[in-house]
Amino acid sequence: MAGAVPPGAEVRVIGPPQELERVPLVANQRSLAWVSDRVAGIVEGRAPLWWWVAFVPSVVALLLLGAMLVYQISTGVGVWGNNHPVMWGWDIINFVWWIGIGHAGTLISAILFLLRQRWRTAVNRAAEAMTIFAVMCAGIYPALHVGRIWFDWWLFPVHNSQSLWPQFRSPLMWDVFAVSTYFTVSVLFWYMGLIPDLAVFRDRAKTKLRKFFYGLFALGWTGSNRHWSNYEKAYLILAGLSTPLVLSVHSIVSLDFAVSQLPGWHTTIFPPYFVAGAIFSGFGMVLTLLIPLRKWCHLEDIITQRHIDVMCKVTLATGSIVGYAYGMEFFIAWYSGSPYERFAFINRAMGPYAWGYWTMIFCNVVAPQLFWSRRIRSNLLVVWILSIVVNVGMWFERFVIIVISLHRDFLAANWGHYLPTWVDVCTYLGTFGLFFTCFLLFMRFLPMIAIAEVKGVTPQADPHHPLGGAKSGGHPA
Amino acid sequence: MSKTVPPPCPEPATGPLYWRSLEHLAETPEFRAWAEREFPAGASELRDPHSRRDFMKLMSASFLLAGAGLTGCRRPVETIQPFAKQPEGYTHGLPQHYATAMPRRGGAVPLVVTTHEGRPIKIEGNAEHPLNAALARDPADRHGGTDLPAQASLLNLYDPDRARRYTFKGLNSTREQALDALAEAARKFADRQGKGLCFLLERSGSPSRARLQQLLTEKLPQARWFTYEPVDFDPPRRGASLAFGRAVRPLYHLERARRVLALDCDFLGVEEEAYRLIRGFARGRAPKTPGDELNRLYVAESLLTVTGSNADHRLRLAASQVFPLAAWLGAEVLEAGGAPAPGTPAAAAVAALREAASGLTPEVRRWGSVCAQDLWASRGQVAVLAGHRQPLAVHWLAQVLNFQLGRAGGAVGFIEASEPASGTMAALVQALHGSEVDTLVVLGGNPVYNAPADLEWAKAQRQATTIFRLGAYEDETAPHCDWHLPMAHYLESWGDARTADGSLVPVQPLIEPLFGGLTELEVLARVGGLEAVKPHDIVRGTFQGLAPEGVFEENWKKYLHAGYLPGSAAKAVEVELQWGTASQALAGMGAKPPPSATALEVVFAPDNRVDDGRYTNNGWLQELPDPITKIVWDNVVYLSEKTARELGVAVVDENRMNLRVPVVRLESAGRTIEGPAWIQPGLADYVVGVTLGYGRPAAAVGRVGGGTGYNAYPLRTTQALGFASGATLQLTGKRYPLSCTQNHWVMQGRPIVREANLETYRQNPQFAQAMNLPEPPYGLDEQHRPKPIYPNPLDQLKPDATHWWGMTVDLGACVGCSACVIACQSENNIPIVGKDQVRRNREMHWLRIDRYFAGPTADPQVVNQPVMCQHCEAAPCESVCPVNATVHDDEGLNLMAYNRCVGTRYCSNNCPFKVRRFNFFDYHRRPLDKLYQSPLTTFTDGEWEVKRWLKNRDRGSRPQEEWDLLRLAKNPQVTVRMRGVMEKCTFCLQRIEAAKIAQKIQAGASADVEVRDGAIQTACEQACPAEAIVFGNLKDPNSRVAKAARQDRGYSLLEFLAVKPRVTYLARVRNPNPAMPDYHQQPLTTAEYLEHGGTLIPHGTGAAPGAGSAATNGGH
Repeated sequence: MAGAVPPGAEVRVIGPPQELERVPLVANQRSLAWVSDRVAGIVEGRAPLWWWVAFVPSVVALLLLGAMLVYQISTGVGVWGNNHPVMWGWDIINFVWWIGIGHAGTLISAILFLLRQRWRTAVNRAAEAMTIFAVMCAGIYPALHVGRIWFDWWLFPVHNSQSLWPQFRSPLMWDVFAVSTYFTVSVLFWYMGLIPDLAVFRDRAKTKLRKFFYGLFALGWTGSNRHWSNYEKAYLILAGLSTPLVLSVHSIVSLDFAVSQLPGWHTTIFPPYFVAGAIFSGFGMVLTLLIPLRKWCHLEDIITQRHIDVMCKVTLATGSIVGYAYGMEFFIAWYSGSPYERFAFINRAMGPYAWGYWTMIFCNVVAPQLFWSRRIRSNLLVVWILSIVVNVGMWFERFVIIVISLHRDFLAANWGHYLPTWVDVCTYLGTFGLFFTCFLLFMRFLPMIAIAEVKGVTPQADPHHPLGGAKSGGHPA
Repeated sequence: MSKTVPPPCPEPATGPLYWRSLEHLAETPEFRAWAEREFPAGASELRDPHSRRDFMKLMSASFLLAGAGLTGCRRPVETIQPFAKQPEGYTHGLPQHYATAMPRRGGAVPLVVTTHEGRPIKIEGNAEHPLNAALARDPADRHGGTDLPAQASLLNLYDPDRARRYTFKGLNSTREQALDALAEAARKFADRQGKGLCFLLERSGSPSRARLQQLLTEKLPQARWFTYEPVDFDPPRRGASLAFGRAVRPLYHLERARRVLALDCDFLGVEEEAYRLIRGFARGRAPKTPGDELNRLYVAESLLTVTGSNADHRLRLAASQVFPLAAWLGAEVLEAGGAPAPGTPAAAAVAALREAASGLTPEVRRWGSVCAQDLWASRGQVAVLAGHRQPLAVHWLAQVLNFQLGRAGGAVGFIEASEPASGTMAALVQALHGSEVDTLVVLGGNPVYNAPADLEWAKAQRQATTIFRLGAYEDETAPHCDWHLPMAHYLESWGDARTADGSLVPVQPLIEPLFGGLTELEVLARVGGLEAVKPHDIVRGTFQGLAPEGVFEENWKKYLHAGYLPGSAAKAVEVELQWGTASQALAGMGAKPPPSATALEVVFAPDNRVDDGRYTNNGWLQELPDPITKIVWDNVVYLSEKTARELGVAVVDENRMNLRVPVVRLESAGRTIEGPAWIQPGLADYVVGVTLGYGRPAAAVGRVGGGTGYNAYPLRTTQALGFASGATLQLTGKRYPLSCTQNHWVMQGRPIVREANLETYRQNPQFAQAMNLPEPPYGLDEQHRPKPIYPNPLDQLKPDATHWWGMTVDLGACVGCSACVIACQSENNIPIVGKDQVRRNREMHWLRIDRYFAGPTADPQVVNQPVMCQHCEAAPCESVCPVNATVHDDEGLNLMAYNRCVGTRYCSNNCPFKVRRFNFFDYHRRPLDKLYQSPLTTFTDGEWEVKRWLKNRDRGSRPQEEWDLLRLAKNPQVTVRMRGVMEKCTFCLQRIEAAKIAQKIQAGASADVEVRDGAIQTACEQACPAEAIVFGNLKDPNSRVAKAARQDRGYSLLEFLAVKPRVTYLARVRNPNPAMPDYHQQPLTTAEYLEHGGTLIPHGTGAAPGAGSAATNGGH
């Protein structure tokens, strides 16, 4: 650190040669104060019109979800399209779909943190929030799709009138633990990361109410070195705890299928393939959410083109893994020599639901290949559309796995069909209501960007960077 | 003793004709007594601690006195004798068994009915009856099969839509007034010697009715008697009587037959006596060793029936062409024994037969000739059956053939059979129009609905001044009558009948008439002004005349106790062909042109489920998948694929969940009907099959059967009761939704049902196990089953268990009649779910019969496979249940703990057999048309559903009157499942437990707690007329089930999954004739399997020959 720069002196920045310069994570050499102002501004200003335009339908959809669940609980699971032999339909498809979406957040905040991927800071907060809300949406389904909802608590290892423990051999049991652990740790991790930023909001609060609540949740954060030191340690520990969970939760969800002996489900490839698919869909959803948000909230300098670019590459990589898994499933089906296994896969590609299979292949394998092109990656509209295609594709992947495998299994006499009902559709729409209501409230009341972390990756935060060192300046000439 | 009910609203005796409400009902004292009790025989008492003791006292006292008093209880007042078990005392909570019989047209099915606290809840065949006892293989073999209608008739007893009131000109009346009117009529006709009095009866084999008819004829000589049956099974008797010149009818002993020929005769399906014909036939289809003889079934038929689906050789033939074929066959057989001398009547007959067969195509002739040779070669062991729809000539020919081919006295005997003289429907219509009828008494039947259309019966009937009608329902006929009297169900009536062999059987009431109905006997006696009018006295009176020597009271008790009168079977008679009647039989039977696309042939068939319409309001039967089409809740217009194509009818077969088929208009002789078209494999070309019994309005048939299907009767005329020629068919442009329980019809080359021809079986007895998938290289376990990679100690047989329960299903014997499905439904309180739910594949049957077609659509082969829970030792359902709701017991049962189930449905997804059923709604409690309405927004009997539920959580959401009746039909030993729980076959756990308890009591201090073989019969096993299902203890190597499972035909379904099912299927063996033109080297399913790369050559790592494949070799 060189000597102090006299106030008003011109600062000349001598950066590395242009060809070696990395694209900075915060564009336009924004100052640290700007970051705080910009992120806090989203919460402190009046809600923009677009927010209301999004919020009102979301709340309506949330009410629809409530109505559908009341109807379903009071009347019976039969109001859905589930039938014999397709005992699981949209309920489990949507469960797995939402859980998959809930993967990106913790992956970004934990694994990328451990891997020192500094670009994660711009998107991790929103992605973690997305994770939590997606897991909430997902959790509705296994809890409410059962025949007797009022006995759901029997799935937990608590003493009940029958003096029975749950059956630990059942993957549904593992699911209960995996999902609830994942949710708990994700919430903790998210909240941990929020504390310094909540303190910022507390300090900037203009009303007593805001001051009280932000102050309450900021847990007395002062920004002292001791706080920071503890915070960093805790963050690291939680990141370490979360990392296996990212892998375990979808592996275990995949075991719901892999443990059974149904052709099309009974596959050892499922755990890695499900995790890859989950990351794929998670990043898809992050892109879907953040591309419009960065524009509407004027965050282009924080969530930069480079961030989008990196996320596209992750999507491309995981999409290709998923595509490989699809191919491998077919190979194994052929290689197994089991006519039942072979039929299950031929039926996927050529049976009555072949349109579902080919939609999945197009969305998950073919479409993401466009991300090889830098031009495509830099065209935000195309990226956004492709991110939605990825989400559609991942929905169809679950449809293919669940419905197509179930509808034609061993004994041809059992073969059936599946059609969702309007209640299925409205319940699914309703979960979007829950998701977006939560997300929109989140962005209005909590820092959507991890302010402290973003500041940490700006050039100004780097003591060795010409701009680094002091708030007001950097290295002397 | 009773709950408080408000006094019924006063209602004038002739109140307006409203819906039959509780108030109407409450007029009868019987009903009032019944309604005051929630449970007629004591459940309400049991709740009350004070009256419980009193009740028990009263019960024990009353059972000693056997019904002397006990008002309010619905136990019949007359003495009835409990059957076999516990006749001495009565233990509350233990079921009692009574012998009775279900009267049919002219015959009867001997039954034993189980009652709980005075409620009949299950119907079974009477194993002791000579017809059944004669077929027992050993003294321990106690089997009495039944058939569909018998099993399902229980539900009719509790049908809330039965006729429940006495009406006069549509207005409410009372029983007393009705009886007065009958007495009035009796007085009037006594003076006029019966002039102007006509009776329209259904056919009946009741000696009491015959006796009453005799008595009345003596008293009222001018009274006239008429009989009408829309589907009449009398023709075989008429054919035999004509052929042999005396009143005889054939009695088939198919168990002795080597060759069976069915001429358009569905003797395994809808014809009379199917329950015993199936048993006899199946005896010859279930070889124990490769050396055993098999019978061979030839079928020539127009529709694809249950019988046709079991044929070794099946010829599709329009119904009108069956006579020419029969004539050809007849001529071939008659000449096979040497051509009759020229100039004799026999020679003339042969010439006439050849002439009649002249129009046949060479292929059909060849079929007939080879068949005739085969029959001739097996003479003495041949049975020829002709279907009820065929003209008398075919029946005459069938009996001629039986005589010619059976001189050695084998498979067909002839017994004396006379029918009381009575006129036809047409004669009655003539009399009506001639104003010769003053009073018409219609006993049973439903002529307004099912009389031939050309008679215009409704109009003709009104020509009578007064019409008395005794009817089970206020049906189509009811509004056209003056007096309508409710008819008692046979389980509420005293009566008698004769079974197929002529044995006398009693019809005993097990419950007092729920709605105060009358029986046919009582009405007849009252109209005749006889002294004895109580049916009990009439039946006793009849018995007096027939009873053997000895103390009458003893005989009577024995008769009721056993359910038959020993030695009362009709005498077999020696018959001689009367060639002189040949010309009479063959008169007018010239060659008829075969049908064509412009002149279609309509074939009328009784429906497999609802018969001629008498069971239309029976929910069990409505929801039973038709054995051939697997359609429920409807009948369809059958067309062959070729006919449909030529007529432009397309049934889209993809996505059958939303199956909507085109509606066609069928026109014949100026009359039209409309119905949904169905392309049926195996149907004769240019034949349109229609089934009777459907298309009835809800107002006439009731809440269950109303509005189902289409009505085919308007097309049926006196001249063409069986089939009509010259019909045309057009599309209407409309579409109609159908519900079908089996969407996929072929096995995809999978070895699901395994079958082989007899030669293959003899060369390669282990063919069924050879069709297993190659075993993984982990060796075989001690039961010669592939070892899994990761053996689970929990999945092993428990060596300490006393029993290893298991079952075998002989696919060779099973004919697919579906009686087991209804038996299971009745025993296990399985709800019906309605057409809409079946459309969504949510039917609840624990036992289903999978039906597969193989081969070309035109001439398919059919196989049936009953599939129930396989009770896998390594059950995949158990390991995935998170709440331990489905678990294994030591004896090998896969149990379902309903109150532990939360309904994740994973078990069903993981069940390879998909035998688990989920209660998507509260099917038991809620009306089927309100399943989708939330209780939060529904009202029942004017009260908010949620409020009702809070008041009494055990109450249903059905109207109270319906709910009360439905509850009576439930088996108290089986939990009634609520919504949200999974259910499945339990191997009739309640029966197993009852037998174990009985054995433990018997064993006392000794440790002999092993249940005797045969002591437990599951409901399906008991009902199965083919004896295809055997249940028992696999641990006992000498048990029937262990022996059966050890047979080399045994195999497990999907054995490669190593789930180790406890159900062993015995592969089917066909016995085709290599000389026949339609001979196939392999059964078509096997051919399909071989085409898909399968093999019949044994393989694997050590599947030692002789080792049973499945849970078989118990006791090693």
